[in-house]
Amino acid sequence: MDIVLETDQLGKRYGRAWALRDCSLRLPAGRVAALVGPNGAGKSTLLHLAVGLLRPDAGAVRVFGQAPYDNIAVLSDIGFVAQDTPLYRDFTAGELFTMGAKLNQRFDLAMAHHRLTQIGIPRDKAVGKLSGGQRAQVALALAMAKRPRLLLLDEPVASIDPLARREFLQALIGVVAETGTTVLLSSHLLADLERTCDYLIVLHTSQVRLTGGVDALIAGHRQLVGPRHGDRPPSGVAHVVRATHTDRQSTLLVRTDGPIHDPAWTAHDVTLEDIILAYLGDGDTQSGRTHAAWGAPA
Amino acid sequence: MIWLTWRQHRKQALFTAIGLAILATFMIPTGLAMRHTFADKGLADCVRALGTASLVPASADTCGKASAEFNSQYGTMSMIGILFLVLPLLVGLFWGAPLVAREVEAGTHRMVWTQGVSRRHWAMVKFGVAGAGALATAVVYGLGMSWWLTPISQAGQHGRFNVFFFDMQGPAPIGYTLLAVALGVFAGTIWPKVLPAMTATLTGFVGLRVTLTTLARPHYLPARTLTLPIKDATVQTNPAAEDWILSYGIRDSSGRMLTANAQMACAPDATGPGAACGADLGLGPGSYNWQLYQPGDRFWLFQGIEAGIFVAMAALLLYLAVRRIRRIA
Repeated sequence: MDIVLETDQLGKRYGRAWALRDCSLRLPAGRVAALVGPNGAGKSTLLHLAVGLLRPDAGAVRVFGQAPYDNIAVLSDIGFVAQDTPLYRDFTAGELFTMGAKLNQRFDLAMAHHRLTQIGIPRDKAVGKLSGGQRAQVALALAMAKRPRLLLLDEPVASIDPLARREFLQALIGVVAETGTTVLLSSHLLADLERTCDYLIVLHTSQVRLTGGVDALIAGHRQLVGPRHGDRPPSGVAHVVRATHTDRQSTLLVRTDGPIHDPAWTAHDVTLEDIILAYLGDGDTQSGRTHAAWGAPA
Repeated sequence: MIWLTWRQHRKQALFTAIGLAILATFMIPTGLAMRHTFADKGLADCVRALGTASLVPASADTCGKASAEFNSQYGTMSMIGILFLVLPLLVGLFWGAPLVAREVEAGTHRMVWTQGVSRRHWAMVKFGVAGAGALATAVVYGLGMSWWLTPISQAGQHGRFNVFFFDMQGPAPIGYTLLAVALGVFAGTIWPKVLPAMTATLTGFVGLRVTLTTLARPHYLPARTLTLPIKDATVQTNPAAEDWILSYGIRDSSGRMLTANAQMACAPDATGPGAACGADLGLGPGSYNWQLYQPGDRFWLFQGIEAGIFVAMAALLLYLAVRRIRRIA
């Protein structure tokens, strides 16, 4: 399995505060990965490190096996759409594509224009006068015209309305399916991700909490409902991610390592959103709760 | 990259060109009129006859009458000229400061720096184009002002070493303009917002200019001194030399300064109240007029030194700006 993006103990510091610390992850080729975390978790920092805008203060980041900072060779294989899809607002879409063609060795001008025509965005209107959703589409077309092997998107849909958001994500899925580009997409809009992404990276308080393929994660997590003050979690539970209790029963979100047959517990399937929220909530405490920590009743 | 820079800044270039054109429509007719009057009144010939020596015979005609007539007609011109002192600063504020600051403020640096050119390349082209534009503007301005100011300077209203006149003509304003642009660019890499960058440019530029003008410029070369007797002088100072007089006064025979900022000359055969020739004011025998000055023929040398200092500072600031840009994300 080819690894497109790999970080190893990666850290970035602003002054004395670490925006990202001990971040180790591997993004396999061909995935559409969601980078999820609350604001300030270090998502933008990670993406900026990956696209070479920032230089790591600790550890290493490698894209296609190379350090991306100040590295034009890597840059030409990365498409990047920054937060709020910044574009020169007085440029028309056509002029932005001309710029792309002049600044990149490989730039598919025809494809960019074709995509614009498909979506129905005028190419001779200043992009500052387009709607937020249309601007995001122009930014995506500009990034994809590089025919990148890795596409990084920083909160591309955060500031656009739900309809435009769905259109944008559909366009993204479509173009990725055509080209096989690996995508890393940061967002805190969880509902959109389940439809779009097949890989998940959860970042919280500057550290990686969870990574993995979406299907495997959904298959590997269960919600258990069982008696309060019950025994230890049943066999088949590798790890309790989150536990909530009422007077009579406990609800656990667990990572499984085998089938759960204990009749005292009812197992339910979970959604991606359940998993993400469980891991983000978990970040409030020091580290993942162990059985022992969970097992001690209040 | 050059296409992009031109596309981004063509409006500024257009406004600058319009500004220069408006300036030219004022400067060219008034400049021609001044030169015309200058020749008509015989000033041109008179000044040429005086030459550029610091001292001329006491009997020489220092063109006083014609100069007075000329200056009464065009006295306001030098005041208008002083308004143009701010032009280099304006170029720095509107070309230099937004160059990086506006990109970072709008976040577009993340878009353009992740295309296929390195930040260093981006910076080189941007700075190069902005610098070339500023240079062209400043050359037109500096040479045009030299041409325009010459009759005013020669008519003795203000020598070309005058603090304001020196700053408005020749290579010096070219240096100022380049520095203003470089300062704006650098400020934009430190405060990546347009308004703070402009404020810093304004403050820094004025500070640097005032400091160098008052503290450094008089000392670019050792000043010379000149002494003139109070009585029976056979020579007089030449207004057409356009010397830069740093200080002057009357000293006694031991060299002690008696009266600063004063000069005195008595006619050899004076009678009446003036015949005492300062003896009644406490000037003993052997007192003399003294002045410390930079000769007028050092004008171009001083212009070159001044421009060189500012160009060097501009180059340093641009180098630092390139280094800063590598750390912006």
